[in-house]
Amino acid sequence: MILNGTGNQVPPTNSPTEETSAHRAAPLVESSLVYAHGLAAIIMLFIAISFGILASIELLLPDITSLPWLTWGRLRYDHTQGILFGWLGNAFLAFLYHAVPVLSGRRVTSVRLGRWLFGIWNFVVVIPGWLLVLAGFSQPLEWAEFPMVVDVFVVLALLLMVIQFLPPFFARGIEDLYVSSWYIIGGLIFTLLAYPMGNFVPELVPGARGAAFSGLWIHDAVGLFVTPLALAIIYYVIPAATGRPIYSHFLSMLGFWLLFFLYPLNGTHHYVFSVIPMNAQLGAITASALLGVDVILVVANLLLSLRGTGWFPQDLPLRFVGTGTVFYLIVSIQGSIQAQMAVNQAVHFSDWVIGHSHLAMVGFATFAAMGGITHAWQRIPWARYNNHAMGFAYWLLAGGMSIMVIGLTIGGLVEAHMWGSNAPWLDAVREARPYWAVRSYSAFLIVLAFFAFLMGLLTGPKGAGLAEIDGAKVFEPEETVGPRLAMGAEEAL
Amino acid sequence: MSASQQPPDGQSPDSKLQGRSPDSRKTLRMSYIVASVCGVGFFVMSVLLLAVWPGIVLEKQTQAMSPAHPLDLTPSERRGREIYGREGCAYCHTQQVRYLHSDMTRFGAPTLAWETRFDYPQLWGTRRIGPDLARESGSHSMDWQFTHLYSPRAVAADSVMPPFSAMFDGSPDRPKQDARDLVAYLETLGRDRELAGPEGEAHAREACKCDNDEMTQMAFHAPELNANPRKTRRKGPVPSLLPGDLGRGKALYAHNCASCHGAKGEGDGPGGLAGLHPPPANLAEHFYRYNRLAFALANGIDGTSMPAWRDLSFVDLSALAETVRSFYVEKPEPPVSKEVLDLGARVYKENCAQCHGPEGAGDGTAVSQLQIVPADLRDGRASLELTLRVLRNGVDGTQMAPWTPRLSDAEIEAVARYTRTLLPRQLE
Repeated sequence: MILNGTGNQVPPTNSPTEETSAHRAAPLVESSLVYAHGLAAIIMLFIAISFGILASIELLLPDITSLPWLTWGRLRYDHTQGILFGWLGNAFLAFLYHAVPVLSGRRVTSVRLGRWLFGIWNFVVVIPGWLLVLAGFSQPLEWAEFPMVVDVFVVLALLLMVIQFLPPFFARGIEDLYVSSWYIIGGLIFTLLAYPMGNFVPELVPGARGAAFSGLWIHDAVGLFVTPLALAIIYYVIPAATGRPIYSHFLSMLGFWLLFFLYPLNGTHHYVFSVIPMNAQLGAITASALLGVDVILVVANLLLSLRGTGWFPQDLPLRFVGTGTVFYLIVSIQGSIQAQMAVNQAVHFSDWVIGHSHLAMVGFATFAAMGGITHAWQRIPWARYNNHAMGFAYWLLAGGMSIMVIGLTIGGLVEAHMWGSNAPWLDAVREARPYWAVRSYSAFLIVLAFFAFLMGLLTGPKGAGLAEIDGAKVFEPEETVGPRLAMGAEEAL
Repeated sequence: MSASQQPPDGQSPDSKLQGRSPDSRKTLRMSYIVASVCGVGFFVMSVLLLAVWPGIVLEKQTQAMSPAHPLDLTPSERRGREIYGREGCAYCHTQQVRYLHSDMTRFGAPTLAWETRFDYPQLWGTRRIGPDLARESGSHSMDWQFTHLYSPRAVAADSVMPPFSAMFDGSPDRPKQDARDLVAYLETLGRDRELAGPEGEAHAREACKCDNDEMTQMAFHAPELNANPRKTRRKGPVPSLLPGDLGRGKALYAHNCASCHGAKGEGDGPGGLAGLHPPPANLAEHFYRYNRLAFALANGIDGTSMPAWRDLSFVDLSALAETVRSFYVEKPEPPVSKEVLDLGARVYKENCAQCHGPEGAGDGTAVSQLQIVPADLRDGRASLELTLRVLRNGVDGTQMAPWTPRLSDAEIEAVARYTRTLLPRQLE
């Protein structure tokens, strides 16, 4: 028996008819908002990486410009804020507009609210934020560089997201929620709680005390916004694409709660060996190690759900999220290790950390987001879709990102080595240069990847996405999956 | 059967749970509610344990250990701080010396909580492309700062810092308000701790009550408060250098010295031409004894833009000294009569000895009043042409004034010839 998201029975059929197409396209989904946010995401992504590429070129050719608007620091601010809000923010919203109705069996609160949210997010937060930073209005706090006037609207937008996406879940009742829903609820609520702490409090609390708050937000931005929503996508796409339930609902829920218990306790690991009381540092370092254990648990569950699909499944959304899962494991284990004092004292402040953040934001979050957008896009009946271009996007991004991360990681080790010697400071800069060049070159591959992704969304025949789904391989008929795999959430307890 | 027809969880909780007893649904709901409350609880705990509680400890430390009247920023320094934030300086330069020996040997004493008490918002930073700036105060001369800001590579070869020439009116000598404010702010970094002096350190150590806290104790056991290897010292150790490896020296010179002193030591590097006052020494027109070079390399020239190179090894310093000496080519000088030398000696005694000392050792009675120590005329010798130029035109940016109208040409010539006898031939 096959059921759609509302719990109503859908007649199984092998030949696509108009009726089943409509079911596949998820009737409760407001496709125009999926489309709008998906397209905005990729456009914003191009702008955000342009800032990053320009900044990386300025490291190699620092005299290329002395225009205040294009100062390295300002570009750096806009790069990360653009990735966080412009790219990932829009990508998550596109996914939510598809997933929330399917998961809850109910429409999102209001389409009109959705249009307002789209407008605020893009035209009041991201674009003005970028321009204000370039014009010299910003705050020098990591992951919080947009000026406070923009932060007010971010909080407003987060509040609107809660209003838009959470009521459908609560209307359904929490005992019926799949783990993706939990991640969506957790991600939106905790981001709303954490955001003001990182963006307003350090303006009011000075120096070392403010840094303690900043440290929490640096980690919460990634841990409570990016990670839960990326995991929501991965947990959603894997069963939807394979046609099999997740390996274990018990592990899903255990991983979910451990993540929300442990992630906020990590923040101080950004300031190890600082004047912040050592007990707080040690607590955060311990939580960082435990977080790695939790991620092993989550990823084991995801990879077991993926078994039999091969390393590179034909279904591209599945391939994107599968690869994202592997990178999630690598980046989290790396994070647990680099939080440890012996490693941290050497690699902290170096390009190793820049490699780590790219592994997290590109390898994990972007792969997941691309999987989520592609999955939702395929199910818009009137949208164009080009599977071939998507395949290129996958390989170009995997290649480009791997080169970038490996280059920066080695570069970071070289810097750490130079700083530990008595060589003049500038010798470390000289030694780092080739690795920065590698980073800039690898960015070229990444641009091509995103261009292919854009082509995947805008070229190809209309409705090609649905056709792709019809041709997709079902990995394991449901009848052969053991009863254990069909275990319900309540049996986990 | 198509995969796409599945709901994402591959099953319908609705259908499964509908068959369950109301009890099991209730248990499930309760456990989720408990977990949700715990989740929020853990978040609140994270803020309390990792931000609020450390904040209370840090505030207590600040109250106890801070000097009674730490200097808050002036309006100009505050504007400079805003510029520092706006341009993203904190994303390449940390302002936090960690409690690690590797940090302490490079940058000095670890940062204490009270040192950042006026920082709204904090500028600790998490990345070091450039060096840490927590102890920048007094580490470089003003004109070095301006020149560096205007054109970083003019004074720091291969630096990757962006040029901030938009903060100037076309040359490093003409900073706009932004550049003045920013440099004023840089001069505050570490200033309070330095001003507090040994008494301040003693007070902080006592108030800290942290005798058993090995980490915090490190803050008071730093080898130097400001260990910036570039910081100049007026007095300091003079390593005894030996004739070094010229090849190695030339490579080091090209990396570290040529941007100011020029590729051939003629003082015409981009930094030399840009805006340093005094200009970098013309090494090709100077004969230097080893101990002069040893002092300058190890301690810098205080009051000028010549930084110290303490982080270089003895072998490297020897190689550099060898290179500098190789630029000078002795030129034959016309013979000089005893009358001229006597005249020179008289003029010297009347006009030069207050600063340069009776024997030319740079130890005249006025030295303590001078920002830049006068040249020790027995430690090295400029070429005759350079000596005459200096006497006629003075040295820009130093107290060495032009003597043209006050001394006649003959007197200038005489004193130039006389000073050349101060360095005993046998010491060369």
